[in-house]
Amino acid sequence: MKIIRKLIAVVIVSGMLGIAIDANAVCNQAAASQADRDLWNTHGCWQQFFLWQYQAYGLNGNEWSGRGWNDACNNVLEYPKHWNGSYLMTYGLLDNNDQSFHGTADYRATAEAASSNFHNSIHDTIADGTANFGSYSGGTVTTFCPLYDPTWQNSNPGSRSGDFQHEGWHAWMEKYNWNNGSVGGHRPGPSGACTINGCDYFYFHGISKYVFGAMWENDGTANRFHSPNQVQVEYLCDVADQSKSWVPASVRLAAKTDADTRAVQRFINGPGYACGSARPW
Amino acid sequence: MKSQQVRSVVMLSVGALAVALLPGCQSAQFPKDAPGAKTVGGPSPSEILKQYKQHSPPPLISGEDVPRFLDWAGASHVDEREDARKVIAAAGNKDVVQALIKEVERVKTLDHPRALLALALLGETRSPAAQSFFVEFARRPLPTDGTIIEGEIIEQTRAAQLQAKAVDGLAYANNENSNKVVTEIIANHPSKIVRAEAINAYLWNHGDSDEARKLLSQYVRKDELILIDRVRRTTGETAESFNRKLDDFLKQHPDVVPPPPEKLDAVPKPAYQRRAFDVKPPIF
Repeated sequence: MKIIRKLIAVVIVSGMLGIAIDANAVCNQAAASQADRDLWNTHGCWQQFFLWQYQAYGLNGNEWSGRGWNDACNNVLEYPKHWNGSYLMTYGLLDNNDQSFHGTADYRATAEAASSNFHNSIHDTIADGTANFGSYSGGTVTTFCPLYDPTWQNSNPGSRSGDFQHEGWHAWMEKYNWNNGSVGGHRPGPSGACTINGCDYFYFHGISKYVFGAMWENDGTANRFHSPNQVQVEYLCDVADQSKSWVPASVRLAAKTDADTRAVQRFINGPGYACGSARPW
Repeated sequence: MKSQQVRSVVMLSVGALAVALLPGCQSAQFPKDAPGAKTVGGPSPSEILKQYKQHSPPPLISGEDVPRFLDWAGASHVDEREDARKVIAAAGNKDVVQALIKEVERVKTLDHPRALLALALLGETRSPAAQSFFVEFARRPLPTDGTIIEGEIIEQTRAAQLQAKAVDGLAYANNENSNKVVTEIIANHPSKIVRAEAINAYLWNHGDSDEARKLLSQYVRKDELILIDRVRRTTGETAESFNRKLDDFLKQHPDVVPPPPEKLDAVPKPAYQRRAFDVKPPIF
């Protein structure tokens, strides 16, 4: 009887310690959105991928402690949600040169850590807080709770990996010394058609105007250039309309919604493109 | 008694230590600095995909079927769109419509993608009950305070995105009453997100005709007239078709061409740690 009592005590204390291990963060760790769950179910606990992903994104376990670093297949936690977004970007696009804005090669090089034509070396970290979706500073991409808390609209794989594009593009601007404005790397607003405080220009370009892998190119004029929000909108549109057949409807719908919202809110010379059909389903 | 207490403390400590070391033990199979998992790894996605039973939507006969149907619909593939449409068309009874409305209300601030899915399926029914709901839903006051990111109240944006999806359903009904509401929204809705989608959806449901554009120009705010000409990339559209539309748009609106990008004064670049990771991702 005494042994049973002691065992119960051990279990209780162990349980409390387990909770304490994950209690560092304030992001909502209780649930995942349907889009996250639906995409997760297409790959499950695919260890090969996250063992590649953490290196490709330059992740450091100390920075992701308490956020699923040691529980990488628990899809309500932040790190599993992070690699869920990367998974979508790595495998989910059709790469149709006659229909897609850009290809997987472009989006991966923008988001991943390695130094390339797209940017100097970067790495991804995470922080509590709700003042940003993401930020870029000094080689570090930081993502925040609104990309992980399922009560908010951007907590889905498309919007999360769309933010990887946005922040990665700030690193592109830094590499090539472009000035995109003084408000967190954007222009102050509201301004023109932009309704928020953090506006970009949309540098319109046709489809097939950039071969896949060449999104980093520019000619120093508005004819061949991208802004962070534009790269994000084009990526989200490609997820919505140019994704592999198996990409779940919930992921595509959330990506379309984010793209269409950004396109009318964030461009001084907007609107950006509208994505796909307006039929409800 | 004392020795018993000591033994208890020792046992508790050993138990606690075991749990604390557990993640480390589990990640022993992985590289030292790698993440670990508390569950066994699964097969590759291509193996999982083989198990997916395509074109097999669950039944949607009563309100009780709605949660399961929504689960399926969310996970459904691109080429299963017509499967969902057929089931919805056959099931457009009041019970199902009311259950979808109930689900929208339940998840609208809990699970945004699921709320969008439920609104999408409701819109597809074209039922009078869904239309009445959309009219009321799209007119609900938007939150005026909340979490601010770059000057945007994100709770307001969340609500506006759902209202925009409701407007898609109204525009798809495409009857006299619903079109009247859509044009009112285009003229008066407080959110640009909703007004822009109302314009887009009205035009899409009227074949982007010149007549529809002319009619909308009576309702659209003067500073938003450009939204009538906004370029839409339709799913599956070729480069030739899209680029022609874009050229026309730029000819019509030369003022949207942005100024040349600006260079910063040359500054020495910080010396970041160079990462050269060129390992290919695992095979799908």
